[in-house]
Amino acid sequence: MRAARTAYPLTWRIMDALEGVAAAIWPARFRRATPYLMLLPAVLLVGLLVLGLIQIADASLRTLDTTTFQFSDDYSTANFRRALTEPLFLVVAQRSLVAALIVTAVTLVFAFPYAYLMVRTRSPGLRKFLLIALFLPFFIGQVVRAYGWLIILGNQGMVNEALGLVGVAPMRLIYNYPAVLFGLVQYMLPFAVLMLAPALTAIPEELEAAAGSLGANWVRTFIHVVLPLARPGFIGAGVVVLTLSLTDFAVPAILGGGSHDFIANAIYDQFFRTSDQGLGAMLALMLVALGSILVGLVFALFGAGTLAMGRSRV
Amino acid sequence: MQEPFRAAASHEAKGGGEIAVTVRNVGMDFDGVQAVKNASFDLPKGRFLTILGPSGSGKTTLLRMIAGFQTPSSGEIFINGEAVSAVPPHKRSIGMVFQRLALFPHMTAAENVAFPLKMRRRDARTIPDRVERYLALVRLGGYGGRRIHELSGGQQQRVAIARALVFEPDLLLLDEPLAALDRKLREEMQLEFRRIQRELGVTTINVTHDQREALVVSDDIVVMDQGEIQQKARPIHTYRQPRNAFVANFIGVTNFIAGTVRAVSEAGDVSILRGDLMLAGKIGDPVNPPAEGDKASGAIRAEQIRLAGDAAQLSKLDCMLAGTVTDTIFEGERMVYEVACAAIGDEVIRVFDHDPAAHTQFDIGESVFLGWNARDMLVFR
Ligand SMILES: Nc1ncnc2c1ncn2[C@@H]1O[C@H](COP(=O)(O)OP(=O)(O)OP(=O)(O)O)[C@@H](O)[C@H]1O
Ligand SMILES: [Mg+2]
Repeated sequence: MRAARTAYPLTWRIMDALEGVAAAIWPARFRRATPYLMLLPAVLLVGLLVLGLIQIADASLRTLDTTTFQFSDDYSTANFRRALTEPLFLVVAQRSLVAALIVTAVTLVFAFPYAYLMVRTRSPGLRKFLLIALFLPFFIGQVVRAYGWLIILGNQGMVNEALGLVGVAPMRLIYNYPAVLFGLVQYMLPFAVLMLAPALTAIPEELEAAAGSLGANWVRTFIHVVLPLARPGFIGAGVVVLTLSLTDFAVPAILGGGSHDFIANAIYDQFFRTSDQGLGAMLALMLVALGSILVGLVFALFGAGTLAMGRSRV
Repeated sequence: MQEPFRAAASHEAKGGGEIAVTVRNVGMDFDGVQAVKNASFDLPKGRFLTILGPSGSGKTTLLRMIAGFQTPSSGEIFINGEAVSAVPPHKRSIGMVFQRLALFPHMTAAENVAFPLKMRRRDARTIPDRVERYLALVRLGGYGGRRIHELSGGQQQRVAIARALVFEPDLLLLDEPLAALDRKLREEMQLEFRRIQRELGVTTINVTHDQREALVVSDDIVVMDQGEIQQKARPIHTYRQPRNAFVANFIGVTNFIAGTVRAVSEAGDVSILRGDLMLAGKIGDPVNPPAEGDKASGAIRAEQIRLAGDAAQLSKLDCMLAGTVTDTIFEGERMVYEVACAAIGDEVIRVFDHDPAAHTQFDIGESVFLGWNARDMLVFR
């Protein structure tokens, strides 16, 4: 009797007791509800967001009386019409959209070789180095990084000083569109690499060797084997980079110097400079719509299973 | 079936005796680990060679060097008489079936088979026909539209074979493609390999650690151990005339009795002394024969030993040992007896008994006699 007791480890007995308690407060017939219960926190959080969205939708339909600084009591589409007709907003929207598309394309092109090397290298040292280099920017944060670029690229920055040494006159390297694009690509690269790497890990190396022995050089191996199999990774990374760039605030604000605003900057101005929350809310809603349409378009074009959701095809 | 493969058949006729692959003094170092050491062999066109060896013996490394995925650290490989160390895999005319098949999961069976043809820019109009023909060759006619994951393991195997053969490579390489299959299917596929290889006459190198597969499918067997080629011979010679103790031990079930060489004759007869017991045998390796006074061991196969309850039944045999049955193992088609023999210090000798009527003849603990002929015992240093 005593021997049997000691043979039954303490941890097991604790687990049994815990299971007993669990069974008492959550009987077996409730079991089927358990997965839904676990979903609850996420649903609540998204629910709160939807509430906020309703509030914003409400505000977006009220116009600001510039003499009294009061919002109208009745709804109108005046903000909507202003957002569509005022040239400034069209310019900003177009600028953001074009930037988002360019940044997405460039980032994916740059991220792929990085991710590929990180996944395929035989040297554990190199892999660790690439991983650390990838995460370092995350620790620094976006705003500090953008200021870092100011220090490096500014009129009295390191690049211009170096150019001065070889007799080149100082150049204006910041506060222009390319600088904003540059900053965004640099900011987005780690995200894209992180999303591409698992997709590439999932492709057996042997497939590439097989393609080689079947007569494909590396370009054709890439086009016919790696690219199609890494598609979920490319779509996922593309969607993330696209939406993050489209809605970015800090990079255009700091590296654009106020002259190359994105939609988020315009919204900020409406909320905190002109205090026209109605128009700001309308712009915000239109940004949400634009992003949703883009993402929807990507899924419509490339299929819904592209984020490696649903059943794997491999 | 005959008509479409005329080209291949003539290819075989042309190849009579020509050498397809030469491996000359090839070595491979992985920072300190010598995976392959000084390997050399010739493979004539149209033949089926199997590289056989235990895990880690360097089989895959040798195959990957022939395929071009790895460059030898030393030595040279020739394909059709040309040194290929500077030729990348996609420019070698080699079809390879990988251990894990490496089929493209995003393509159908037909698209997989069409892939090498497209990569080699063959006339697009002829591709569908040819793909269908090769799918039929591996008995998958009509399955072309299936995706890879919609096929069974054996069917996937055959898609991989069709894909490796469809562009009529000079050389077909197989890296244990059957290892993952269950025994029944594996034996079926072995015969399938043999049929296809004979039908097309394609020079083939197969890698395996399954001795039965090597014996069944090959024209020649190269036995490897620890990166070194131990023997290259036809299956029947590999089995009956192993060149050293490793080969004798690796293929088949072999008993070794260690002793000291007492006499060696011109004709190849050797006697070894173990305790008070004198055993007669034949020289195993004429290149490296034992001399008087050497330590050596006599190798005798389990199926070459007769088992009897009394000594008189074995009187026609040259050697005899008395022993006690310590275990009986029923393997279905045969019974294996383990017999401890006092004359050799109670070492256990394994004996097969293929006679189905005799299954229950001896029990554990029973006293028995073992007998064999001197010519069946090979003596190795
Ligand atoms: N890329 C590599 N780097 C370092 N060592 C390697 C590498 N590839 C193989 N080896 C070593 O070389 C030796 C031979 O390996 P190889 O893969 O050729 O064996 P094998 O005969 O194919 O074995 P198995 O039957 O298990 O597949 C092993 O000791 C292995 O650890
Ligand atoms: Mg191997």
